Amino acid sequence: MTKLRETLVPPLDPAGWREGLRSMVTPGIAIAAWGVVTGVAMVKVGMSVPLALLMTIVVFAGSAQLAVLPLLVSGAPLPIVWVTALLVNVRFVIFAAAMRSYFSQLTWKQRLFAGYINGDVGFALFLMRFGGAPERGTTFQWGYFFGNATVNWASWQVASIVGILLGGLAPTEWGLELAAVLALVAVVVPMLNRVPVLAGVVVTAVLSVATIHIPLKLGLVISVLAGVIAAVVVAPAHVSKSAHAKRAA
Amino acid sequence: MNATHDVAYVLVAIAGLTIVTIVTRSSFFMLPARINLPERVERALRYAPACALTAIVVPKIFVPNGEPFFSVQNNQMWAVLAAAVVFAKTRNMMVMMAVGMAVFTVLRLYA
Repeated sequence: MTKLRETLVPPLDPAGWREGLRSMVTPGIAIAAWGVVTGVAMVKVGMSVPLALLMTIVVFAGSAQLAVLPLLVSGAPLPIVWVTALLVNVRFVIFAAAMRSYFSQLTWKQRLFAGYINGDVGFALFLMRFGGAPERGTTFQWGYFFGNATVNWASWQVASIVGILLGGLAPTEWGLELAAVLALVAVVVPMLNRVPVLAGVVVTAVLSVATIHIPLKLGLVISVLAGVIAAVVVAPAHVSKSAHAKRAA
Repeated sequence: MNATHDVAYVLVAIAGLTIVTIVTRSSFFMLPARINLPERVERALRYAPACALTAIVVPKIFVPNGEPFFSVQNNQMWAVLAAAVVFAKTRNMMVMMAVGMAVFTVLRLYA
């Protein structure tokens, strides 16, 4: 067990770990609400309890799971199922690119594992906490990340299992999924402190609804790309140049 | 006909979905440290997270049942709006979630 832990997890600073645990407690409630919703949704469409449990435990990606459910019900070809999940998950590719410099010192197994457990809220909290850190890849940062990820993982798994076992008993009209939406809004709001980000978010918001009927969830990717391009276009050249100079110094 | 009763089909689907999770989440983590991303990409990456989260959240608010729903009767919209204002003022996630859920519940029951 210790051996496995050392293989998958880098050395963690205890203070960082504790801070990571703490900072995820409130978002954890929202993650749990989201987990219950996903669990209920899986059994409500008719998936058996064992398959639903397996799916939530290993796939561990709420938005992708919900997106492919109707496809699985209709027996859609597997490549379509997978591509849909891939496109819903494209944001994680972006997150990984933004976070990679904090993890490049790890072994490949540790990086693979850290990536697998990285969620939306944890990612945002981490970059808000360490985005301006002069040194990247410290045991404190790893401690924070894994503390965060542990709460995220546990609240998701416990809640989605509860949702699966509750099945049809959980009322859908309570708006439990709204808790998850609110948590993500809380994560986005502090990011909106610069004009380019604001521009990008507005473009993404409009397009994400306008493209909702494009198949395979392609609209998601289109709206993110367009938003990023809008932000880059709006950003005055001198701002990015000075930021670059600061980083190089 | 519900294809989720086809155990083999769902098992293979789950296997592939797990690979999708790992491949997307770990993607850039697996790039060797000596490879640097182009400056232009690094710059764009500063805006990408906010956009990516927006693309997940906004449809959940405005497309509740598969169709865009822009209306004063969209309870989720008011809940999120109230919560966002509270959060911008207090920076307290617990309070903001409580306000959001309360607004939603009141509107659902009485509006």
